[in-house]
Amino acid sequence: MNAIELSGLAFGYGERLLFDGFNLEVASGEFLGVIGPNGAGKSTLLRLVSGLLRPASGSVRILGQDLGALGRREVARTLGVVLQENPFAFDYSVSDVVMMGRNPYLGRFQSPGRHDREAVNSALEFVDALFLRDKRINSISAGERQRVVLARALAQEPAILMLDEATSHLDIAHQQLIARILLNLNRQGKTVVFLSHDLNLAALYCSRILLLDRGKAVACDVPERVITIELIRSVYGVEPIVTRHPESGRPQIMLPTASGG
Amino acid sequence: MQKRLLPGWVGIILLLVASAALSVAVGPGGFARTNLGAVMDLRLLRLALGIIAGGVLAVVGASLQGLLQNPLADPFTMGVASGAALGASLTLVLGRTAGAFAPVGGFAGALVTMLVVYALARVRGRVTVTGLVLAGVIMSFLFSSLVMLVMILGRRTLGEAVYMMMGHLGVVFTGKTVWLFGAAAVLAVAGCAWFFSMSRSLDIMSSGEEAAETLGVDTQRVTKTVFVISSVLVGVVVSFTGAISFVGLVVPHLVRMLFGPAHRRVLPGSFVAGAGILLLSDVLARNIVPGGLPLSIVTALVGVPFFIYLLRSRL
Amino acid sequence: MSLSRSLLPIAVLVAAGCGHRPAAASGLRVVSLVPSVTEIIYAVGAGGVLVGNTNQCDYPEAAKGVYKVGDFMTPDLERIVALRPGLVFLTLPMHQQLLAKLKEMKLPVYVSRPADIPAAFKEIDTVARLLGRKAAGDSLVASMRKRFDSIPAFADTPRVYVEISGTPLMTAGGGTFINELLARAGGRNVFGSSLQEYPVVDPEAVLKADPEVMLLLHPDMSVRDVASRVGWGGIGAVKHGRIYDKLDEDLLFRPGPRVVDGVVLLAKLLHPGQ
Repeated sequence: MNAIELSGLAFGYGERLLFDGFNLEVASGEFLGVIGPNGAGKSTLLRLVSGLLRPASGSVRILGQDLGALGRREVARTLGVVLQENPFAFDYSVSDVVMMGRNPYLGRFQSPGRHDREAVNSALEFVDALFLRDKRINSISAGERQRVVLARALAQEPAILMLDEATSHLDIAHQQLIARILLNLNRQGKTVVFLSHDLNLAALYCSRILLLDRGKAVACDVPERVITIELIRSVYGVEPIVTRHPESGRPQIMLPTASGG
Repeated sequence: MQKRLLPGWVGIILLLVASAALSVAVGPGGFARTNLGAVMDLRLLRLALGIIAGGVLAVVGASLQGLLQNPLADPFTMGVASGAALGASLTLVLGRTAGAFAPVGGFAGALVTMLVVYALARVRGRVTVTGLVLAGVIMSFLFSSLVMLVMILGRRTLGEAVYMMMGHLGVVFTGKTVWLFGAAAVLAVAGCAWFFSMSRSLDIMSSGEEAAETLGVDTQRVTKTVFVISSVLVGVVVSFTGAISFVGLVVPHLVRMLFGPAHRRVLPGSFVAGAGILLLSDVLARNIVPGGLPLSIVTALVGVPFFIYLLRSRL
Repeated sequence: MSLSRSLLPIAVLVAAGCGHRPAAASGLRVVSLVPSVTEIIYAVGAGGVLVGNTNQCDYPEAAKGVYKVGDFMTPDLERIVALRPGLVFLTLPMHQQLLAKLKEMKLPVYVSRPADIPAAFKEIDTVARLLGRKAAGDSLVASMRKRFDSIPAFADTPRVYVEISGTPLMTAGGGTFINELLARAGGRNVFGSSLQEYPVVDPEAVLKADPEVMLLLHPDMSVRDVASRVGWGGIGAVKHGRIYDKLDEDLLFRPGPRVVDGVVLLAKLLHPGQ
């Protein structure tokens, strides 16, 4: 059974359709990278899959079930989402924030129990943020904050994890840390969908890469067949230099120097 | 963190008890020999009104701040308080028997405001938080002006208009309206209890609407519920007391400084602290100047020093 | 207050609006922004010179037909000026800004603001002279004085509470005309010592004052509503059913020719059977 199945998906903001007859299959246990230029539809796709947006037509299936038929809480138990922006209007403690991830399991009048607290602790431990437990969310660094938000998604105990630009504003140390965490999650059997502007990061860790351009799937294949000079040129309009990573052999791109003539 | 909770609770409960005691003990009526029982009746009713008004306004303010992820939200931001005042003032100027039913008018005014703001904020069937804030602020300005217009057209004195816009607890209850108030009080407590049961959802919503959706919160339902209950509660309170500002805005912040932002503590804390602060303001308002000052003046003067004190003690 | 007389003939001008009456033979065109002055004007037989008054100028009947320059509270400057008046009657503090503007335009104005009953009598005299109706004024004042002096001094002066508004409770204070009327009618305004004209009062203060008579001067509540107010049952006025509403408020607020009627009205309420 596929983790995510999109068939005949149509969606647009306003008059024009961005996605028209879009199809995608994400197998369980995949580590899928989603790349593409600005406006390609990456974030929109994430929102369509998670139910934040409703398609005009077509179907979204999560673990074989139609998204529309699933209740909000059930979706939240299956699918964890980490959005790009996570503003906190009020200064909750880190443990309070991660405990919010247990919401799909708690009844209205139910207080968190031992299992919930354990889930929170192990989520924090997994992202190496247990020491931040009692700190305030607005007083920690950006990288630490990203890990906390990730921990919140993990506390949902989801089978699938979707992240939107999880490493964009982070230093290379944190980027590597996040990537390693995601890899570990994937090895545990979780399906990971990783939206990124960072082609190299995606190429280094993902099992498959989906290259999006204006709502169309230009390619969806192993990194070697997606990170090619021709495809990058045709989608981004930039002529890259493609090399191989010395350790893993994965394709990596380098930008040519901008020759002003 | 736990250690700081207890002194906080003790503090606000003491404040409430002290204010209540003062409210009952001190007043222009003194202890007139012939009418002692009657004066106590008046004061107890005033006490009840003050507790309900202060508690409700603070709880609604706290809930709106959570829902709208905006520390500056309060019943006035949503336009509901002004709408209620408009409804109440309309019934007042429209006629004799209508005047005794200003509460119903305020209720209706709040409801109408709610529907208008809701309709304005709807985009493609969804009600966004930004839309609510924008529509609410616009309506608030509009209705405030309309209240003044209605009062002028209705040949009301400026004094009455001021008290409608700035609030007072010196309401005289007739045999009929006392029952109305009783029903309103029950409604108020029920509404606040409902908000309390939504604590977790409010916590999550304060961290972003989209994130809340992904965490399994029905944001549409929460938004609508909070909005409707807020309108009802504020409408009812304002129709009795006029528009008392500042309480809904500042009290939740004070309580958050004491207890942290979790709504399961902020909501009950806001009720207690809001009641206490409002009663204290009322004691000052009615005893400093004969006839009493409009409440909003005093709530501002009382609230700000509290705020500054707490702010500095934490820094 | 400025006082000037203008009896210069003024060319007849067509003024906009309905109900306009052509200027009287003397040529004097008068605008009255004060309902009590309007009453005086008609009472001394000078109704013919009135070319404009306010929406609230409703007594006598003839006053209703005169061109309206607006509300008593907010008269329209343009309309007033368009009538080319030779004299404008207004009062303070309502018409403060208007007064300044009219002075700027060098229009003759008279500020009418009698504070008590003797001043009201004098006002009738002054207005009558301004309009060249001294004789009529004198006889009116004389008959009013006669009636006034025939009101006996009363042995008892019951405590009176005047309610101007119910939400919030508002009463008439020391500087008001109705306070004067009450005093002459043999009553004691329980809030007569207040410095404010129309102060807001705490319900407890009313309880403490324990008035014997209540006058409801607003349409918001009926006598029954007031009597059923929580905690008010012990007040003398409530216990003995001496709450009066539906009074002709114009008699009580206008310092004009009907002041004596106002006093008589109050006296009858306060001292029934005398």
